[in-house]
Amino acid sequence: MAKKARVKATSDGSERIFSGYKPLASTYDEYFSEAGKVRPQASTIVQHLENLGRDEIRERMRLAHASFLEGGITFSVYSDARGGERVFPFDPLPRVIDPAEWKSVEQGLKQRVEALNIFLNDIYSKQKILKDKKIPSAIVLGSPVYRPEVKGIRPRNGNYIYVAGIDLIRDQQGTYRVLEDNVRVPSGVSYVLENRIVMKKTFPRLFDRHSVVPVEEYPNRLRRAVTSAVPGRGANLVVLTPGVFNSAYFEHSFLARRMGCDLVEGRDLAVVKKRVYAKTTRGLQPVDSIYRRIDDDFIDPLAFRKDSMLGVPGLVEAYARGNVVLANGIGNGVADDKAIYPFVPDIIRYYLGEEPLLEQVPTYICERKSDRQYTTENIDKLVVKAVNEAGGYGMLVGPKASKKERAEFVRKVNANPRNYIAQPLVELSASPTWTPRGPAPRRLDLRPFVLRGNDTWVLPGGLTRVALVRGSYVVNSSQGGGSKDTWVLEARKS
Amino acid sequence: MISRVAESAFWLARYLERVETMARMMYVNINFVLDVNLEGVPRWWPLVLAVGAEKEFRAGTPEDKRDDAETVQEFLCWNRDQSTSIASSLDHARENARTIRETISLEMWESLNGLSLWFNGPEGRKRYQRERFEFYQHLRDQCVLFQGFALDTMLQSEAYHFMRLGTSLERAGQTARLLDVKYHALGPTGRSIEWPREIAQWQAILRSCSAIEPYFKVAQGELSGPRVAEFLLFEKEFPHSVTRSLEQARKFLQLVRPRGSSAERSARGLAELRSKLDAMSMDEVLQVGLHKTLLWIVDSVAAICAAVQEEYFLAPTQVRRHRTAPRRKLSRAA
Repeated sequence: MAKKARVKATSDGSERIFSGYKPLASTYDEYFSEAGKVRPQASTIVQHLENLGRDEIRERMRLAHASFLEGGITFSVYSDARGGERVFPFDPLPRVIDPAEWKSVEQGLKQRVEALNIFLNDIYSKQKILKDKKIPSAIVLGSPVYRPEVKGIRPRNGNYIYVAGIDLIRDQQGTYRVLEDNVRVPSGVSYVLENRIVMKKTFPRLFDRHSVVPVEEYPNRLRRAVTSAVPGRGANLVVLTPGVFNSAYFEHSFLARRMGCDLVEGRDLAVVKKRVYAKTTRGLQPVDSIYRRIDDDFIDPLAFRKDSMLGVPGLVEAYARGNVVLANGIGNGVADDKAIYPFVPDIIRYYLGEEPLLEQVPTYICERKSDRQYTTENIDKLVVKAVNEAGGYGMLVGPKASKKERAEFVRKVNANPRNYIAQPLVELSASPTWTPRGPAPRRLDLRPFVLRGNDTWVLPGGLTRVALVRGSYVVNSSQGGGSKDTWVLEARKS
Repeated sequence: MISRVAESAFWLARYLERVETMARMMYVNINFVLDVNLEGVPRWWPLVLAVGAEKEFRAGTPEDKRDDAETVQEFLCWNRDQSTSIASSLDHARENARTIRETISLEMWESLNGLSLWFNGPEGRKRYQRERFEFYQHLRDQCVLFQGFALDTMLQSEAYHFMRLGTSLERAGQTARLLDVKYHALGPTGRSIEWPREIAQWQAILRSCSAIEPYFKVAQGELSGPRVAEFLLFEKEFPHSVTRSLEQARKFLQLVRPRGSSAERSARGLAELRSKLDAMSMDEVLQVGLHKTLLWIVDSVAAICAAVQEEYFLAPTQVRRHRTAPRRKLSRAA
């Protein structure tokens, strides 16, 4: 297929970098068309990399790695007994997105997040959508992340979702599809910003030859969004982190720094007479808004898990009284539960009266008897996922799994059907990715970030994660994933 | 500011000051040992005593290795079981910095993180083995660079003031400890004529405080134990002297102390120590005993640090009201 790109050699006789590149079968390739031709938005990159040569690219990758390490831009790995910090592997071949394509994705994301926010308002008040039987009540109210404790509490401005990370993939035809929603505490945005900095530093000329939409305003936008429900100016904002041992600690610190606010742990906050305060060297100081990066379960031992050492006793009560803004709201999990996901198109239609702009992946709900039967009978063709796990855990990629693993999952599904969904294996799109042998196709996803304050804004591009392991479909950093800078190109002015 | 963050800033500065002092001390001691190569004079053991690591060191070291250059340096540089080693202090400094990255500047973080990577990577060990002088020099330089970045790139607000408070208090204690190396190596100090080895030791101590040239500017050619001790204790214009460090501590403690604050103990402790020192002449110090005076300084500084810890970093529980009106003076007996 890619023969045209393969045969050429450079004048000094060395093999051309992309000469051995072979796009994956039945997979959309971000750089090359099916005919093996370079896509227009990738042509300058391919040409530039050819000019640089392998050694130079390797040298620059070394610099990029050193730059992440020296900057302490790392994540912690829980399974690592030493509590080690690791650099999130960075691939220097950017993902490039055409402006027209991005525009429609952006519209679709706004629509989706809007609908999910209305859904949350409804579920925690009148539950009209359940009464109208658009979604089975059992699935919503039976969700382990549905929080009856906050029913009847309306967060300020009715805003549950301040920050959303919606995971997108591209299928064989290149169509963007939503794979899952994250409206609790989505992470990864710091890598988007750091990847961009490192990309500019290590491949300045390559960057210079494109008009890439900047991403740097994210922290400002985030600050504006999460303080949008605080009246007046100079809101006292804090970022609440589980602490330095959390895998995303770097990001929490990064965002606090860029928003110019305090980074606090649960023990730094106190609730006195249903108001939240920070414990400072000068006594207790009031807090208006909390961008929290702690899950519901751990945020308040009085309301949820009693054994949580990370949370702030009384915080939920203060939130219920409207004395503090929590971004994101409590109970959001019910909107991104993987068992609710199949209903999101209906949710959009129900609340907005519009057709969904973004496709998603057909999903079998194991709680339904017929779906469960289909799933267990066709497990070798399906991806089975536990509904409330993240990070690529609790998941079976049927076609890649052993007989034993499949049997194990069939058992799990039958034992606890509510906990599982199944989807056909989507051939995630791939992009040239640097390996020790030069560029090779590796599969990708994309996590754009959506901010909802007084208006809704989508970070141009988002976090592209790439499965660095050959043949892998799992892009999570905890399981051998890396990331790429993601370029949304400026629309041509003509 | 958040109490926990203030605490980390304070400790970050203290740990780095320890790294710096330790690096200076070792650097100088190598020289000193070369100058004074006498039988029966302990060369490295006094350093262990001066940093207060005697017990741990004894436990893990055979008797005949206690004054061995490599054994002691290995212990004081790399031994993570020992809380005052360079490795431990640097780890703690970095960990504190990492937890308050939102507070320190990017440049500060990068320089400290870079130093830690260097020290713990192959580069640091290699330098240690091949170029011992350069190794210590690099450590010292990077600590100073960090201070420079702090001065130049960080908001000069509360967190900075807590850092400087930490540096100043730590430094007062460390200078006292360094001065005490002489006692551990060669015994008490008096007005009597000193041996050449004692003079060499005093020079080494001056050098480890980067004080050789400043000293000669002030001492006008005299070089004696009491004079050196006087300089390092009382010279108001020298950055590493005890009184100067305490004066700095006073300044920064005042800056972090809110008006009408109930944080009395640290301020009072510091004022007491300073006024007692100010009232002392060098003769009185020698009368009491230099070693004894130094121990008293080290203990007093530790007590002040403990008071700072308690008054500023332990969780407050009261909602801060608007500043209370100044207390009316009690009228004198009518």
